Amino acid sequence: MLEILIHGAVSSAIYAMLAVGFTLIFGVARVLNLAHGSFYALGAYGTYVLTAQLKLPLLPAALLAIAFVAAFGVVIERVFVRPLRRSQLAVLMITLAIALVVEQALFLAFGSEYRNVPAFVDRKFTIGHVDVGGQRLLALGVGFVAIATLWLFIQRTRLGSAILAISQDPVAASYMGIPSDRIFSIVMAISAGLAAAAGILAGPFLTVQPTMWLLPIVKAFAIVVVGGLGSIPGSILAALMLGYAETIVGYLISTSWTEIVSVAATLLMLVVRPAGFFGRRAAF
Amino acid sequence: MSLLEVSGLDKHFGGLYAVRNVSFTLAKGEIVGILGPNGAGKTTLYNLLTGFIAADRGRIVFDGRDLRGLVPHRIARLGISRTFQLCRPFIGMTVLENVIVGALGTAGTNRADLDGRARALLASVGLAGKEQLAVDVLSYGDQRRLEIARALAAQPTLLLLDEPFAGLGSGEIADLATLIRRLHAEQGLTVMLIEHKLREFMRLVQRVIVLDFGEVIAQGTPDEVVRHPAVIEAYVGRGNEALVERPDAA
Amino acid sequence: MMAGKRLNLAGAAVFVAFMAALPLVFDSRYLIGVLTVSAIYGIWAVSWDFMSGLTGRENFGHSLFIGVGAYTAGFLNTLFGVSGWWSLPAAMAVAVVFALVVGLPTLRLKGPYFALAMLSSAVIMQRLMLIFWEKTGGEEGINGIEPLIRSQLGFYYFVLGTLVALTALLLALARSHWGLVLRAIRGDEATCQAAGLNVTFYKIASLVISAACAGAGGAIYAHYQQQVSPQLFAVVTSITIITMVYVGGMASIYGPVGGAILLVLLTELLRNFGEWRLMIYSCTLILILFFLPNGLIAPTWQRIRSRLGRRR
Repeated sequence: MLEILIHGAVSSAIYAMLAVGFTLIFGVARVLNLAHGSFYALGAYGTYVLTAQLKLPLLPAALLAIAFVAAFGVVIERVFVRPLRRSQLAVLMITLAIALVVEQALFLAFGSEYRNVPAFVDRKFTIGHVDVGGQRLLALGVGFVAIATLWLFIQRTRLGSAILAISQDPVAASYMGIPSDRIFSIVMAISAGLAAAAGILAGPFLTVQPTMWLLPIVKAFAIVVVGGLGSIPGSILAALMLGYAETIVGYLISTSWTEIVSVAATLLMLVVRPAGFFGRRAAF
Repeated sequence: MSLLEVSGLDKHFGGLYAVRNVSFTLAKGEIVGILGPNGAGKTTLYNLLTGFIAADRGRIVFDGRDLRGLVPHRIARLGISRTFQLCRPFIGMTVLENVIVGALGTAGTNRADLDGRARALLASVGLAGKEQLAVDVLSYGDQRRLEIARALAAQPTLLLLDEPFAGLGSGEIADLATLIRRLHAEQGLTVMLIEHKLREFMRLVQRVIVLDFGEVIAQGTPDEVVRHPAVIEAYVGRGNEALVERPDAA
Repeated sequence: MMAGKRLNLAGAAVFVAFMAALPLVFDSRYLIGVLTVSAIYGIWAVSWDFMSGLTGRENFGHSLFIGVGAYTAGFLNTLFGVSGWWSLPAAMAVAVVFALVVGLPTLRLKGPYFALAMLSSAVIMQRLMLIFWEKTGGEEGINGIEPLIRSQLGFYYFVLGTLVALTALLLALARSHWGLVLRAIRGDEATCQAAGLNVTFYKIASLVISAACAGAGGAIYAHYQQQVSPQLFAVVTSITIITMVYVGGMASIYGPVGGAILLVLLTELLRNFGEWRLMIYSCTLILILFFLPNGLIAPTWQRIRSRLGRRR
């Protein structure tokens, strides 16, 4: 029982980091970015390269990887997404194509065997009567702090208000002199950085291979649909639900069934309440 | 025999009433106008009548049928057609194709010569010769005519027009008003009309219903309604009645 | 206008004759194989275009219908010894069921969400095939499916014939009132409803038709390759088909046939580049989205046609 509680929390934290970024860029730019999973993958692979091949210590490598992925995200937004922003479907296609290109590039560079991303914490801790890997606890902690920081940032700073303004009404926001284009880039950087961080934290205990971008996207989409597109609290809540649902299914049935949970949840939610729990903009 | 009976219609969004206790009837063959300041609930009323939104309370009976709970395309097939405030032609298709699609929904088994019927409709609204044009190249006035042709293609008994004069110059407005009058006379169409451009509007309609904040504040002939204190107050505020010029000239 | 139609027919006839004659001129098993595969992809691409091209609701999970069609044929053949001629309609039926189950809740969603929901469904089916590996053969899939037609050339002509018949049928539908409604739905759904059209019905129906054709293609594929694997459900399959449609010309119905052939040829030519193939594919898609959003094949044919028309 305690095991489920802890592991569920860890999963939820990782998912929340993925989903919040995904929903943020959607809320602000109306962009469903299918390359979001690639940020996750690149975070993990980037850290691997910096530590294993360039022999950097872990923390600087991780931070560098996050910075690189954030920059990559901004480049994608500027070069590929912005010109096509009029058509949501075109953006979907191009980000999917980019995700495939990244997958192929990773495959060509690193092959398909699993790579090793070193963990920050190697020890195991014992909470109650349960053994938990330190890395997992770290993931939980960092996830929590990162999202709390983001939430405070959006609620308390001017930039945060600008972001909220644009997500409510892009035209009015631009009339108020808010530089939407620059904000999109900033939000994309945040979104990509969060996803990369998730990849780095989860890398040590989840698989690192070129196709690792697809499932996170399916799950991020599920979370965002259930929580409500564009709603950060919704994504957090849904991430918790999904994280725990998967953990419970994993314990009760088998781990192979866990992915089904997210898609089943998506389809169910779309049937029952397409706006999600807190969505202001419905998916229809 | 009333064609449309609306009683006690309520609709609220969140805490706000968009439409409140609205009741009125339409007799067959009338041209009735709906007036009201912006946000008064006029388009919401249309959305309720055509099934795009579900009312919270109240009854809508059209030609003896209860419309509550019916989806828009069923209501359209029963004989109610509408236009929208902003022209919404089917982009990527020609003028003729737009009208044919308008007819398809209600054509049922009578699919013979949809092409011919569409051309006749286009001619009657003054768009003859423009059948093969793509809708994006039409002028706004022509787009309006297309909207009306498309709405008529569904062979309605009741036509709901939402600000048909918006965006048109005075000459075009006069032409459109003449067209509506002619259609009404020739086909016995019952017409309901939301408008802000008062001059033509007052000459066109036989009866006016005035909405403000979702409620009916006045009903009557154009003359009666224009002098009605509640209406004047709604438009210019209390205490400012003296500002209003009496509309003596017709 | 009449001249246009006649030119279209002439063009189609020339194309079909060319495709039929190729294997007779170049007696190569390899070539026939490539042509057969491109014809199967053509079936998949045309069926995608009919629904997604016309209504603008891009379906990112077309591989779902392909996969269930292929697996249905595989199961029926290997488990129950059912001949290919029966598995084809069975595959179509199963694909239709899936189209209804997934389509009904998701078609009322806006474009991107429908696309992603379909994508998710395909991914899940892929997972399910792996989870139930005992029944489905897991990564290996089902092997030892009987070929539909023993003769390689015969099989090719069968697939080519199916492709032509299907394209003609869907083209006719697209040019009819049905197609008008689908295009109007692309334009403005609410107005269609206000005009009395049951939009949901049309969307579901076109998805069902698209799925049935894709499923049939999947079954044919199963009997051709004589094996099916979960890879059929992969995102790559769906994206490849979408790329083919973009190259061919969205909503043209006939364009994707050319797109399919071109891309399969490209794949074969790039075989030497082995691992770089998929990369080149994806980059091609990106380039097309930016520079040739109307495609290559259909606009080219339209230009040829208008030039031929002028000479007369």
